[in-house]
Amino acid sequence: MLLNLLAFFLFFTMFNPSYAETTIVFATDATWPPMEFVDAQKQIVGYAIDFMTAAGKEAGFKPVFKNTAWDGIFAGLADGKYDAIVSSVSITEERKKAMDFSESYFTVHQALIVAKGSTAKNLSDLKGQKVGAQIGTTGYFALKDTGVEAKSYDEIGLAMEDLRVGRIAAVVCDDPVATNYALHKYKESLKIGAILETGVVEKYGVAVAKGNTVTLALINKGIIAVKAKGLNKGLKKKWIGQE
Amino acid sequence: MPEPKSFKTEAKDHTPPVPSPDNHGLISAWTIALCVTIALIILLPWMQPDPYLNILRFIPDGIWVTFEITVLSISLAIVIGLLTGLGRISSNRFINLIASLYVEVVRGIPLLVQLFYIYYALGRFIRVPDLVAAVIAMAFCYGAYMGEVFRAGIKSINYGQVEASLSLGFNHRQTMVYVILPQAWRTIMPPVGNEFIALLKDTSLVSILAVADILRRGREYAAESFNYFETYTMIALIYLLITLILSKLIAIMELRLSYYERR
Repeated sequence: MLLNLLAFFLFFTMFNPSYAETTIVFATDATWPPMEFVDAQKQIVGYAIDFMTAAGKEAGFKPVFKNTAWDGIFAGLADGKYDAIVSSVSITEERKKAMDFSESYFTVHQALIVAKGSTAKNLSDLKGQKVGAQIGTTGYFALKDTGVEAKSYDEIGLAMEDLRVGRIAAVVCDDPVATNYALHKYKESLKIGAILETGVVEKYGVAVAKGNTVTLALINKGIIAVKAKGLNKGLKKKWIGQE
Repeated sequence: MPEPKSFKTEAKDHTPPVPSPDNHGLISAWTIALCVTIALIILLPWMQPDPYLNILRFIPDGIWVTFEITVLSISLAIVIGLLTGLGRISSNRFINLIASLYVEVVRGIPLLVQLFYIYYALGRFIRVPDLVAAVIAMAFCYGAYMGEVFRAGIKSINYGQVEASLSLGFNHRQTMVYVILPQAWRTIMPPVGNEFIALLKDTSLVSILAVADILRRGREYAAESFNYFETYTMIALIYLLITLILSKLIAIMELRLSYYERR
């Protein structure tokens, strides 16, 4: 049985035309539209996916995307279950201690999403009320020490659902995602209350395990090439609706 | 009659010496598990305060939430279970059908799906706080299992007692309240205790509803510090300590309740 599998694997790799290319396995939590999500055809799509595919073409690697739950995505990287994470990971000092980051491929802000009727313009307007965010995201860290009751969700969509039915007062997340929910999906009930001033510029980067310089160099090469050619502008238009 | 004697000795010869679970020497599985758990919970934070002590500081409000949900759910589930159990043995066709339907439906749906359903699917129509939704979902699910426990407990009382009671002039309700239930109680309590422990463990599922229980608090800590191994080790130890203590309490209770049967 094992031998059969091995033979099959060998056969497969030998006659696979893309064998010469390096394959990089990216983990992505595909619950973060429009950056990375699963479409109606069950394919992982989005801005980040297109970006990395383009970067792969430029730098000569074949990206494979693996849908992974956000909670534990960093543990999987450390355990070597995949080569990199492209999942809207903001580059932060704390994360830099645990992993290495590529060049940034997107700049974001933290947006405060509230119900249509709400007048909240800042987290300080929501003192003592429940505010949701996805667990372990910069949006959730932004809730710390602000006086609000922070609630951590496994997926951002669940937090949005709770906000929509009125169980929580607001949700904090990256602005492309906020735009997707507040201006498209749930535009009749939600709105973006404010862009939060967190004091730091947040940039998405591809995370690799600490010391994995080979993979990092390859990814960086791709990202820089895509940016230099201006391919990212077309992708922004396609997925986010603005350049 | 000589034959029982010979049968007994024969059986004894061929039975390998398996230690009886009732044999509570100093070296029982329970004692070892408890000692190791307590030792680890004390030693790990002492030897490595960062992260273990920080984890222990972060989690306590989660323990409180877990207990809160467990106690509220089991109380509600016992009430639902009693009603269901009585409904299942009711001679009223309609009540019997409703109770049976409830048990069939609830036992056929995984608890995780029920939690999602009550919280997110029904959330559009009934707006309840997360803790209430969690308690309702847990109680609703365990009520069905509890119903079967109650039914079995009531059925375990010899029907002759019902006949005797009726012939003495009790009506059906009085028979149940004064004669059957006080006796069925002893059969029912131990499985209820086991359900209590099972429910306590299953409350870890409510962390998906963003309820800040032990597991959710741990995951929040791990997501921020990246100390996955340390955090989940601590969480496992805390759950283990709680269930070990509870299982001992239930074993003691079981012993007390079976007092009359041992005579």
